[in-house]
Amino acid sequence: MIMKNTVFRSLILSLAGLVVTAAVTLAQEASGVPQANRLAEQNLRPYWHVFAAYSLVIIMIGGWAISIARRLRAIEDRWVD
Amino acid sequence: MNHYLVQVWAILRKDLLLEIRSLERIGAMGAFAVLAGVLFNFSIDTTAVRPDDVATGLIWMTLIFGGLLGVGRTFQLEAQDGALQGILTSPAPKDAIFLGKTIANFVLLYVVSILVLGVFGLFFGLDLGQNLGWVVFVLGIGSLGFVAVGTLFAAVAAGTHLKETLLPVLVFPLMVPMVIYGVGAMMPLVNGRPITEVEGNVRMLGAFTLAAVAAGAVLFRYVVED
Amino acid sequence: MTTAGMRRGGTVLTVLGLAGLIVLYWMCFFWVSTEVNQGVVQRIFYVHVPAAWTSFLAIGFAAVASAMYLWLRDDRLDRAALCAIEGGLVFATLVLTTGPLWGKIAWGTYWTWEPRLTLTLLLWFIFFGYIMVRNSTEDPEKGKRFAAVVAIIGAMDIPFIHLSVVWFRSLHPEPVVAKPDGPTLPGDMLATLLFGVLVFSLLFFGFFLFRYAVEALRAEADLRARSAT
Repeated sequence: MIMKNTVFRSLILSLAGLVVTAAVTLAQEASGVPQANRLAEQNLRPYWHVFAAYSLVIIMIGGWAISIARRLRAIEDRWVD
Repeated sequence: MNHYLVQVWAILRKDLLLEIRSLERIGAMGAFAVLAGVLFNFSIDTTAVRPDDVATGLIWMTLIFGGLLGVGRTFQLEAQDGALQGILTSPAPKDAIFLGKTIANFVLLYVVSILVLGVFGLFFGLDLGQNLGWVVFVLGIGSLGFVAVGTLFAAVAAGTHLKETLLPVLVFPLMVPMVIYGVGAMMPLVNGRPITEVEGNVRMLGAFTLAAVAAGAVLFRYVVED
Repeated sequence: MTTAGMRRGGTVLTVLGLAGLIVLYWMCFFWVSTEVNQGVVQRIFYVHVPAAWTSFLAIGFAAVASAMYLWLRDDRLDRAALCAIEGGLVFATLVLTTGPLWGKIAWGTYWTWEPRLTLTLLLWFIFFGYIMVRNSTEDPEKGKRFAAVVAIIGAMDIPFIHLSVVWFRSLHPEPVVAKPDGPTLPGDMLATLLFGVLVFSLLFFGFFLFRYAVEALRAEADLRARSAT
């Protein structure tokens, strides 16, 4: 049980980190970057997309896992009553 | 077999008679068709797009939207007066009820589709003289396929609290093949190409319609049982 | 299968799947070779395609379970369908989000009407429709039957949708720089792709078992609550 909590906490923290990174990436893209960075951006853009895609995999699968775990805990609590 | 057809005919006749007497649904669908044509006309930039290029597609979209209007009301009438229970407890097999309702809806939609064809031909300057028979035939197959799916899901929608608002969500994704094959078959025909060029599309449209009617007939009983 | 057994099975599959996911990520980032024409962005392919295949697996599974539910009226089959649909929704969403990320770089547009993406978009709505219908009836038994019908008809339509979209695309070809999923896929790319399919399937079934356990416990709790009153 304790192990589960630690696992969940670290999972949530890393997910949060990924989400923040992805959000910053997309915001940068949307808002537009200063001219000086534009060339560099163009070379690096595919990498951001790949990173975002692979992060999304973790976010979505992790998100589903957390959703199931929460429901499982809820039904177990109800079971105990 | 005869007995079965009699039952289908009974349901079909009832629905058509109701419709002829009140002209409610056909009136609404017909008005929708004409007015949709008007709005579409103003939504196209005729300097950038030739109207007869898009007319066929717009005809099918109007059929789908208008058909959804009509089909959504299929079970409304019975649900209101509790007549649905009456039909369901009758010894008529459920697939006969489905076929009767579907064919009644088909007649309605087909009449409207001919109207749409005429009105849009007028508004968008189509030359309907060529291949008219085949065009009308393709419209018929498409209408039947649409109505089969629509009637089945109308029964589903009637049993939910969302009612008709649920219909587009359920029906539209499944209509992609119908639109693709229907427009794919009709556009060349309207432009005067021979039927041999679009045979494949007509056949696929027919296959889709057949599958829709068969699936609807089989699955309808699971929707309406209580 | 008891709930405890399901959780054990789910744990095994999930742990295997997660381990596989780590290996897959390593393969995608460090092992597999870079595709010549598209460059590094093509690596999205290795999660995009397996997610698509998993969502199709989900609808197939759900349709079969739904058909058997309508025939046998065993609630367990309906529960299985629901869990599969939910999983399918997750993976379909993944396809629809990674697709534009790939497409923007590879083909210059966020969205393209290529067969796999189009089919997955419509599949997403079939999943969505299933869940909507299931939750929108007063009588839950009705909801289960309606949803089963949605799943069956949806699955039946998939081949038609695929054929029609492929035909449509043959008329309106959009420029594709390279064909990463042709039969001429190089060995290491094929291996990575197939491994991706395996990993996603493991994860799908692992989570499926946990989700199924939740539903089974819920049904049991409802039953006990009802018999207690």
